[in-house]
This record gives sequence, structure tokens and C-alpha cells, in this order.
Amino acid sequence: MRKQRIGRSVLAATSAVVVATAFAAGCTSDNGPESDDGVITVTFAASTFGDPGRGPALLDLLDEFNKSQDKIRVAAAAVPFPTFGQTVLTQMGSGLGPDLIRFDMPEFAAASDAGLLAPLDELIDVSQYNLHQQPDKFMFADGVRYGIIFEASNYALFYNADLIPEPPKTYEEFFQIAKDLTNGDTYGLAFRQTEAEMAGVWQDIFNYVYGFGGAWSDGEKLTINSPKNLEGLLKYQELYDANVIPRGADAATFRRMFAEGKVGMEINNGGYVTATRGQNPELNFSVAPIPFPVRSQGAILAPIVINEASPAKEAAAEFIKWVLQPENQVKLQEILGASSVATVTQRSAQSLAETPFLTVFDDLTDTSLPHVVLGFEAKTPEIRQVVVENVIAALQGTIDMKTALDRAQEQALALVS
Amino acid sequence: MTVLEKMSVPRTEAGRRGSNRRKRSPLGSKWTPYLFLAPGAIFILVFQAVPLAQEVYLSFTRTSLLNPTRSRWVGFDNYVRIFSDEDFHRTLITTIIYVIACVVGAVGSGLVVAMLLDKGFRGRGVARALVTVPWAAPGIAVALIATWMFNNQYGIVNRFLNAVGLGLPGGAILDSPRYALPAILATTIWQLFPFTSVVLLSALQSVPQDLMEAATMDGAGRWATFREVTWQVIKPVVGLLALLMTIWSLRRFELIWLMTKGGPVGATKTLVIDLYSQAFDSRELGTAAAIGMVGVIISLMVIAASRFVARAAEKEGIR
Repeated sequence: MRKQRIGRSVLAATSAVVVATAFAAGCTSDNGPESDDGVITVTFAASTFGDPGRGPALLDLLDEFNKSQDKIRVAAAAVPFPTFGQTVLTQMGSGLGPDLIRFDMPEFAAASDAGLLAPLDELIDVSQYNLHQQPDKFMFADGVRYGIIFEASNYALFYNADLIPEPPKTYEEFFQIAKDLTNGDTYGLAFRQTEAEMAGVWQDIFNYVYGFGGAWSDGEKLTINSPKNLEGLLKYQELYDANVIPRGADAATFRRMFAEGKVGMEINNGGYVTATRGQNPELNFSVAPIPFPVRSQGAILAPIVINEASPAKEAAAEFIKWVLQPENQVKLQEILGASSVATVTQRSAQSLAETPFLTVFDDLTDTSLPHVVLGFEAKTPEIRQVVVENVIAALQGTIDMKTALDRAQEQALALVS
Repeated sequence: MTVLEKMSVPRTEAGRRGSNRRKRSPLGSKWTPYLFLAPGAIFILVFQAVPLAQEVYLSFTRTSLLNPTRSRWVGFDNYVRIFSDEDFHRTLITTIIYVIACVVGAVGSGLVVAMLLDKGFRGRGVARALVTVPWAAPGIAVALIATWMFNNQYGIVNRFLNAVGLGLPGGAILDSPRYALPAILATTIWQLFPFTSVVLLSALQSVPQDLMEAATMDGAGRWATFREVTWQVIKPVVGLLALLMTIWSLRRFELIWLMTKGGPVGATKTLVIDLYSQAFDSRELGTAAAIGMVGVIISLMVIAASRFVARAAEKEGIR
């Protein structure tokens, strides 16, 4: 009887252990490319797939590639911009992640420095394409190409042409117009100013720093607390203190307010022309260069890269080569709106007639810089964090802007040493 | 025959057979309980003990999120760095303030609501059901709605404060280092008090009515009755709730991250937020693990203190 009891008990317990093991085994997954009837599936992650207006059009472009041949299928993965870097880099760091990624520059620099990106020289012969030289020179790390420009979107001043007949040409005019327009629920200007939108704040303050002749580094040394940087950021703070912006409103909110005529001006990148039109086709808005003393501003340089861990690098490269074909570059540029693409293209007469200010964005390409700290590209995310935290502390009045930049310089030096 | 006498009488064969029948059960082996505990133990070992051991190891290394398999042993460097960082001291203080305020607020408000719901009034059943709504709402939904409620321009909180003459400068609540933490605390307590009120309501209903009546007849006032009768009965439940609230508050992430991401200027940065920021913004897994270990140690200290207090109370025979 005792043997019977032990037998039943062992059977019951063993069954439970087997179930638990089967459950654990079921949680594993393999990482190979899906191959169904010889079709290789390649995932392409981009925050822009979720953009209103451009997202659906980009998905259509992927469909077009998929229909153009029957060996490779590109599947889109939309990841929201605020968490894009964290999400994708975490996956890539653990040897997973999408095959193709549209990165922003800080994350591109960090990923290439960490060896997470596949070198492209042997996968794609770029000599046959007429690439834009200025943005393309940022696609290298230690002389090796890791990316090709998918989108280059320069920052300019968007303004409501009904509220502002003539765009400001100087900072003083800019400030005055912002003040004059602010009344009740309407604001003269909007920009990001909360820690919750750290990456966006970095992009916004970049324009003030470079627009007033400053720079985060000279290529070899950090210059975060330089007098020119201070001058630019004091102007940023002056606008914040003047209450001409909807404080606390995130970018999605104030961009909708701009589309609804509740915000008179915003400094934004060309990628948002299509989104703004999508939110309000009746809005009469235009674009002008940012009215700061120096014609130098940020640009969203978004390279398309291949994951080093991807088991389908050649298939991923085929998609990039297809995108680089002249007719597809034109299509992509039509989708992206006021952004440039990798190669030099001719805008159609129709697109110029619909959007006359497209040439404003195009003319800014040679004076635009990516949102990285030159010479310290791989450390840009960490430097960005200390700079933004300290600048926001100054906006909150906890410290003055000079102290904020001095602290940021000190903390950033500790990071890079 | 007394029990002792019964026990000293040698058992007869019939008695032994009877005793064996009582002892014999289909699962009578002494190893059976352990075998049934095995799946749960394996689960805890695989999904908690192993990750905890990994975290301990990581906390002594310099490891990047972008290369998690390449760790460099640095000994206590991470701990020295975080404890010599003034920002980390502020994070610890913020965490302590947040936890204490959550515990006091959630348990205190839960007790008040429970006492109200313990009284008879029309619609009490409906009230008891409605009180659970904040607890049932998903944390993410609560965080997003609260963010809008506290919005500088359009939030109803600012509209109310302006209407009663208590408007804040610029309407900044979540943007203000002074008001962001109270706003988060208010949201947290709003979400927690239903749980504490339901638990305390059931505890209140176990207070013997005859003791309450006897106290009243002896001339005790409401406060004295509460202190000498009600509180003595519900004290163990309050202690347990305080422990649970402490542990949950130490771990709270989504509410704070979605509302302020630990800002502005670190005003709402707790240990968990700092840990996440170090791991996924700064990509320093070693530093994040060290911060996590500090949180684990604090939790263990709280549990140990709670056990000590409970045992001391037991020894004094208060229970």
C-alpha cells in the first residue's frame, strides 16, 4: 500500500513538473526569418509608420515593394517616437530586434558604436546613386558606412499666414509677434519644455543654440556652457517666461492647436507639413527660415540601417536598393512632404504648386546639422539627458541658465571621460 | 478516563487498525506536500530567484544595455557612485516621502471611508460598489486621465482652483517641482483607497457589537470606544495593509512614469523611476541593478520591521 501511495504521489507531482516544463519551453521562440513558400519576411521598424498622414502612405510604399517581387516581404512595425530608441535598442542589445530600422541620429550613433548595425559597404554599392553629400557624411562611423539617409527633414518656422501676414526676420520681431498673438486660449508660439519629452526638447533647443552661433562641441571638446550657447538658451527661457507658449502641452497637443489656429508659430521640421495638412486641410500656413542671427538649425536625419543580428541582411539590403531607385525616391519624397531623401531629386511642378514653400526646406539642407554632439555622437543620448535636465531646471527657476549649463558641462565631461 | 490515561493505554490490534485507517490516505507519504509545492517552488526559482541572482551579479559590474553579455567586474563601484551622488540622495528622500504619504493617505482615507460605509444609510450598497471603481480602473488609464486633469491650460483641477481663488502661477502642477509630487500622491491615493476601504470594512464588521454596546453603556465616548474596542480588533489588518501599501508604493512605476517621468527636475523621481532611467535612458544596467538592490534591501527591512512589530504585539498578548 505504501508503494502505491508513493507511486500516485510521484505521478501527480511529476505531471505537475512536466506541465510546468512544457509551459516554460513554450515560452521560447526562434529568431529566424519567416520563410513561407520561399518568401523571406523582413521587419522594418519606424516611428513614422504611426504618423497621421504619412504613416498610411509609407505602408502603401512597402506594399508596392512587396508586390514588385515575390521573394521578400517587408512588414512594418510602428513604434511610437518617444520610446522608439529605448524599445528598439533594448531588443537589438539582446540580439533580437527588427531587420530594418529607421533611426534618429543619437540612436544611430549609439547603435553603430556598440556594433549593433551591419556595415553596408558590401551589401549596397552607393556609387551608382547621386546622394546628398551634406547629410550623407553623417552615415559613417570610423570610416565605415552603417546607414543610408531615409529622410532628411530640416527645421524651419511654421506660421499661421492668416494671423501673421509677414513672417518675422529677426529674433526681436519673432518675440514681439509671439507676445502680440498670445491672448486667452491662443498662443503666439509653442515648443516642447517638459522632461517627459526629453528627445523633443533636445531637438527644439538645438535650434536656439546653433541659431545664435553656439555649438555643443567643437568636434573634440565639449562646449556646452559656451557664451553663445548661453545666449541662445536665454532667448529660449525668455520666451518660456513670457508665457507665450502653452506650458505643459505636449507636442501632439500643441501641433493640433497649431492646426486649429490656436498657436501662431512653431519651429518644426519638414516632416510635419503633411501631418499638419492632414489635421486641417483648410489651415493657411506657410514656412520661413528660423529668424535667428545665424542660419544654422537642426535637421532630423533619419538613416535606414540593417540590424547586425538580422538573419536576412541581403533581403533587407534589397529593399534599401529598391527605395534608392530614382522613381521610388521621388515617390518617397512625395510621401514625406517637405523632407529630402537620400538622393538629389527634382520636385514636380504639381507639388511646388500645391506647396510653394517646399523650396524653403530644400534651401536649408546645406546649413542643417543632425541632433548629435559632434565628436561625441555615441554619447549623445547621455549628454542629451544631462543638458535637458539642467535646462528644464533653469526653466523651472531652480537654478539660473548659466549655472544649468555649467553643471551640464561638468556632468557631460564626467560621462565622456 | 482522562486524555493522558487514554494516551498511556497500549493500543489494541483493533485500535491500531482503526488508527491506521485514519492515518492511511491516498496521499499519505511524508514527501507529498513537498512534491505538490515543487511546481510553485520551481516557478519562483526560475522567474524570481534566478533573475534576482543575476541582478545581484549585475550590480557589481559595468554592463551596457547595448551589449548585455559583455560585463566588466567593478566590485562596489556602482554602489559607491550612486551613494556619493546627491541626486540619488534626493531620490531616496523622494521615495521615502512618497511611500509614507501613500501608506498614511491610503490607509487613513480607506479607514474613514470604511467607517462611513459601515453605517447604515440609503444607497449603501450602491456606494460600496462605486467605491471600488478607482481600484478597478487600469493604472495607465488613470495616469493619462490624471495628466489631463492637471493640465496647465485645460485641466479641470486648474479651472477649479482658479474658480475658488487658489489659482497657481501659470497653472503649473505637473510642471512644478513643488506641486508635481502632491499631484502624483493624490492620484495614487485615489487609486489605492478603495482596496484599503474594502479590507477595513470587512475588518470593522468583525468587531463584536456586544463589546461596542458594553463600552457605550460604561459611558465611553465615540473616540474612546474606537480606541479601546474597534482599533484593537482592526489593528492587525491595518498593520498588514500598511505593509502591502509600503511594498506596492516602493514598486509603483506606471503612474509616475506616465505623468512626469520622474520630473520636473527630479521632483518625482523615485527609486523605480531612477532604475528605469539608468537602465533604458542611460543604458547602464550595472548602475540600474545597484539601485534595484537598494530597493530590495529597503523592502526586506520593511518586512523585517513589520514582523518584529507583529511578534512584539503577540508577545504582549494584545492580539
